[in-house]
Amino acid sequence: MREQTPIKIGLVKEVNGELKFIGSRCTKCGQTYFPSEIRCLNCGFETLQEVSLSPEGKLYSYSKVEMPCAHFKPPYAVGFVDMPEGVRIFGQLDIKNEKPFKIGMKMKIYLDVLWNEDGKDVMGYRFSPL
Amino acid sequence: MREVVIIGVGQSDFGKFPTISIENLGAQAVMEAIDDATISPKDIQVSYASRLYDAMITSQNVLRKVGISGIEMTNVENACCGGASAVRSLWKDIAYGVYDIGIAIGLESMTTSPIAGKLIPPAKGDLDGQMGMTMPSYFANIGRRIMECQNATIEDFAQVSVKNHRHGSLNPRAQYQKELTIEKVVNSRMIADPITLLQCCPNTDGASAVIMCSKIMARKYTTLPVTVAGSVLLSADYFFKKKELTTFEVQKRAVKAAYEMAGIGPEDIDVIELHDAFACEEIVHYEDLGLCDAGDGIELLRSGATALGGKIPVNPSGGLLSLGHPLSASGVRVICEVTQQLRGKAGKRQVNKAKVGLTQMLGGMVSGLEAGACGIHILKI
Repeated sequence: MREQTPIKIGLVKEVNGELKFIGSRCTKCGQTYFPSEIRCLNCGFETLQEVSLSPEGKLYSYSKVEMPCAHFKPPYAVGFVDMPEGVRIFGQLDIKNEKPFKIGMKMKIYLDVLWNEDGKDVMGYRFSPL
Repeated sequence: MREVVIIGVGQSDFGKFPTISIENLGAQAVMEAIDDATISPKDIQVSYASRLYDAMITSQNVLRKVGISGIEMTNVENACCGGASAVRSLWKDIAYGVYDIGIAIGLESMTTSPIAGKLIPPAKGDLDGQMGMTMPSYFANIGRRIMECQNATIEDFAQVSVKNHRHGSLNPRAQYQKELTIEKVVNSRMIADPITLLQCCPNTDGASAVIMCSKIMARKYTTLPVTVAGSVLLSADYFFKKKELTTFEVQKRAVKAAYEMAGIGPEDIDVIELHDAFACEEIVHYEDLGLCDAGDGIELLRSGATALGGKIPVNPSGGLLSLGHPLSASGVRVICEVTQQLRGKAGKRQVNKAKVGLTQMLGGMVSGLEAGACGIHILKI
């Protein structure tokens, strides 16, 4: 196995033996953030609690892309997924199973290798249609 | 606060000019603006120049070519909104009496920049950018939502491109001066579904300049001053505050402030120049600028109202889609276009009896915000 490095520190952690994506929620106004923020950007309150994201969300929008970008070669897909915790997350969508995307469909969030850099696997989140 | 007027506009040709230096490209626009204003270069008291890629002191570098040195010069960056930001800064200086006359320049040489032939790269370490959020993929997601919410088709988006290229075919300064068909746009290479190549603005080299002064001073130079009745620049709010991708809160706020400042509403506007980097984007701006209700943008396009000859022509110049998009130049170029429209000097692309015009620019993308900045100007004659 290649050495791994996270795309951003603090995105995942093990909770009761399960790998969870971790965000934060303001204890005053309830605004949720993923990735976590250290103070509330909505009301300015400084106490935020850790929150684990649900394993599934709903596809809000998507695009299958046919041109390269910094780390991905076409074809690949990107989109926005709405999580039950109230965050809309942008990310790579899995196109391996060729299931056509449809707005509103259930999407699973999972930890995956995003690209390889300097001999290391860069780890982050990806979404797959259910 | 003093009334500010435009007395001179200038523009270089827009296209791919890898052998023309940035200062010569800029000087072309500046000299045209100076001649148009019938002033001497020595009359200029202050300069704001905007350029994104990739060097320092753009004002100084350009203006030394035309005999201007030693005055206050500032160089501005605000992504695609840079040009509009330079205009806004100059407007403030004159409106609040810091200076009486000055120049705003927008300039970009994409072919000689470090990103020639590439996408605008994400900021280092920017999470969404690293994840593959690019301008085309972001606007593709917006286009997808318009299709979902308004039953729009890819042919509708292609129609924006066909319309703007028809306008561009009438503009001798456009990079592309030929008409397109729906079929050609739809069948061009897929970039990011539903956006095909001919729904994207090209990367372009070009420069634009505008000379503004106080209304009192303008009497010395022109009998046809164009008044800047509204000038607003705002930065965008957090992405989490945004409910729908198909609207930009920042430009709704900016345009509301600009209408209030000018004492008019969207129904009073005769001509609009806006940021159509991608065809589907134009639909979003129709709604945010108040040309129609939210959700009715596609219907407005289909009605023909936004084409030359329609009720509210949008991008009679041909827009970014035909002129090309020298990033920082576009925000100044739209001011030049609307000025010429209001003067009745827009040639074959003239909007009939245009008296009030609006320009819009939107720029920048970073994780956590809905955009970078939005600049709105309202011009009157």
